[in-house]
Amino acid sequence: MRKTIKAAFLGLISMAFIGSAYADLTFVSWGGAYTASQQKAYIDTWSKGSGITVENYNGGLGEVKAQVEANNVTWDVVDVLPDQAITGCDDGLFLKVDQSHFINDMVVKPVSECISPQIFWSYVAFYDPAAFPGKKPKTIKDFFDVKKFPGKRGIHTWANALIEMALVADGVKPSKVYEVMSSDGGIDRAFAKLDTIKDHVVFWSAGSKPLELVSSGEVVMSLAYNGRIGAAILQDGKKFNYIWDGQVLEQEYLVIVKGTKNEDEAREFVKHASSAESLALQAKYIPYGPMRSSSIDIIKKGEPYFNTGVDVLPHMPNTPKRLRRSVIADPFWWADNGAEVSERFGVWKGN
Amino acid sequence: MSSETISGPILTSDGIPLKVSLKKAERINKIRAFLLVLPLLAFILISFIIPIGDMLTRSVDDRYINTVFPKTFEIYKKWDKQGLPSEEVYKTMFIEIGEAKGFKIGKASTRMNYSKSGWKSLIKKSQRKFKKIKEGPYKEQMIAVDKRWGDPIYWKALGEMVDPTTFGYYLNAVDLKYDSNKKVIAQPENRRIYMHTWIKTFKVSLLVTIFTLMLGYPIAYLLATLPLKYSNLLMICVLLPFWTSLLVRTVAWMIILQQKGVFNNLMVMAGLIADENRWKLMYNETGTIIVMTQILLPFMVLPLYSVMKTISPSYMKAALNLGASPLHAFWKVYMPNSIPGISAGGLLVFIIAIGYFITPELVGGKDGQMIGNWIAYHLKTTLNWGLCAALGSVLLAVMIVFYWLYNKIIGVENIKLG
Repeated sequence: MRKTIKAAFLGLISMAFIGSAYADLTFVSWGGAYTASQQKAYIDTWSKGSGITVENYNGGLGEVKAQVEANNVTWDVVDVLPDQAITGCDDGLFLKVDQSHFINDMVVKPVSECISPQIFWSYVAFYDPAAFPGKKPKTIKDFFDVKKFPGKRGIHTWANALIEMALVADGVKPSKVYEVMSSDGGIDRAFAKLDTIKDHVVFWSAGSKPLELVSSGEVVMSLAYNGRIGAAILQDGKKFNYIWDGQVLEQEYLVIVKGTKNEDEAREFVKHASSAESLALQAKYIPYGPMRSSSIDIIKKGEPYFNTGVDVLPHMPNTPKRLRRSVIADPFWWADNGAEVSERFGVWKGN
Repeated sequence: MSSETISGPILTSDGIPLKVSLKKAERINKIRAFLLVLPLLAFILISFIIPIGDMLTRSVDDRYINTVFPKTFEIYKKWDKQGLPSEEVYKTMFIEIGEAKGFKIGKASTRMNYSKSGWKSLIKKSQRKFKKIKEGPYKEQMIAVDKRWGDPIYWKALGEMVDPTTFGYYLNAVDLKYDSNKKVIAQPENRRIYMHTWIKTFKVSLLVTIFTLMLGYPIAYLLATLPLKYSNLLMICVLLPFWTSLLVRTVAWMIILQQKGVFNNLMVMAGLIADENRWKLMYNETGTIIVMTQILLPFMVLPLYSVMKTISPSYMKAALNLGASPLHAFWKVYMPNSIPGISAGGLLVFIIAIGYFITPELVGGKDGQMIGNWIAYHLKTTLNWGLCAALGSVLLAVMIVFYWLYNKIIGVENIKLG
């Protein structure tokens, strides 16, 4: 009897060891509807090897750096913003990956050798049409024009995209925005434009907040992540209008953390997660724009495409027509100047 | 026989000198005692001393960049900072950029970018394009690759990195910086954010401490003096929010205090304020103070309560019997007895408030951000952990100064948590 117990115990222990040898892949992303779409698009469809554990984080590279420095990497694959993809790749926090299977299929050039493509999302202005019974705001210029469209505006608490939008509202061509930002006085010009709405803004920092601000009438229009607005319209039946003019497109990438204990599997998974089919499937659950051209072709063929049976392309930020009046955020500029502009933005906010 | 034993050492039964034997027994006891406290010692070492040591090291450490450009910095030091550096500096820079393998140069460029925005992309571009340059002179060819190589500002920014230890991060933390000759100068005006934030952090923490004391004192008094039946109920009222998630409480305050929120709606309905003049109580400093006061209130009430519980009611009765007015009796008898609780609660709330981060992040909006928010920003986004460490060390130093002042004025032995 005692022997059987002992054997069973030893068996359990060895199982625990086997379990750890084939440990689950840990996939880290932003949570909410976005992670839910990733789950459906390529975690549920992942059939090779072991399971995948999903964790949420709030962005930034703090945790990744701590894990790599302590040589105790528990996150295998992370979903990151492009400027962090650059910094992380430079600092040796991420592994370089094979990009041959997507490199010729990208809407924009990949920002570093460590990334695999995900989606475009955008900072975009929106409003509740009920708030404007007469003339409705149409451009980013209107967003910055408190005389023509009185009322409060919701903006986020950090500088990204606000600088670009202020310049477009001030008359800079979207394609010339970074040229102006890099020139002398360019940033001053953006801050001068921001000054004009300063007394009329409400700041938000959590992605769900702008929807609430607009719904409750706290502000008449707000900037928000386009996917959140899309989800509110497509899934919750809200009536919001986008102001696509002057939107700022951001990229989203997958990276593999250096020192992962499941390197081969992580590479396989990332390849699967950035395939044209996976990215197209993701658009069934969230209106973010796939980064691969062939994914957009798949969506076009399948319209109406969204899981509720409606067309998703009207909610996509990166259609050719919208791209003409959009700024594609330049992560290199932000990797260079992010800290300086953020400090300046902090001074601006506080005074 | 007897003379022999007296002159020699005293022996135990097995022939070992008594002194040695006793020492041995004592040593075993000492080891045993040491082994008993070892886990605690290890815990303190691992969770307290090592991290703080690491933080202090990081706040002055600038070795990394010096391992990437050792020769360049050697020659750089001889440059008179007029115009552009000599061809020799360009040449060694060129060679050392080429020699740096893998992520070494990337990491270095991140460091260089802290002192001058733009280094990051400059190094990246150069690393790619320098492969085409086969032989010198290098200066013109490097400037041809990117004209920033011909901009003295970039070269001057290197000046603060040439030593393996630096106080640059500390200077940064108080809106100062090194110029190219390592002289301390002020940051340009539109980047001076930290002093402002420090002052705000202390102001908010102090106000929160005062408000929690004003609100917490009567509550603690009631808790300590009411009959058990009522005081238990009151205690639950104090503890229930304490056990509720911080985020839930913060969001609840947002709903109540925003401009179209419950409070403002009630005020407008009651006709106390006009619809267009709704109070701004959220997404600014006021919001931060209100919400932090509510969240930190239990940290004030509990120490106050535990001290007040020990104050015998007979003291007050005696004072009143001797003819003091109730106010006078309170001021002269009760209040002094409750000082240990006030001190403990005050220090606790102030220490927690000064490093607060989530609440200011969510409700701070325009001007309610504190130093913790900047530490989080640099920790996560710019990866400037040197600056984070310097900000953290300043915070630690400030706390130690406050503690020392407190000890001088009131005395540490007066702190009582229960």
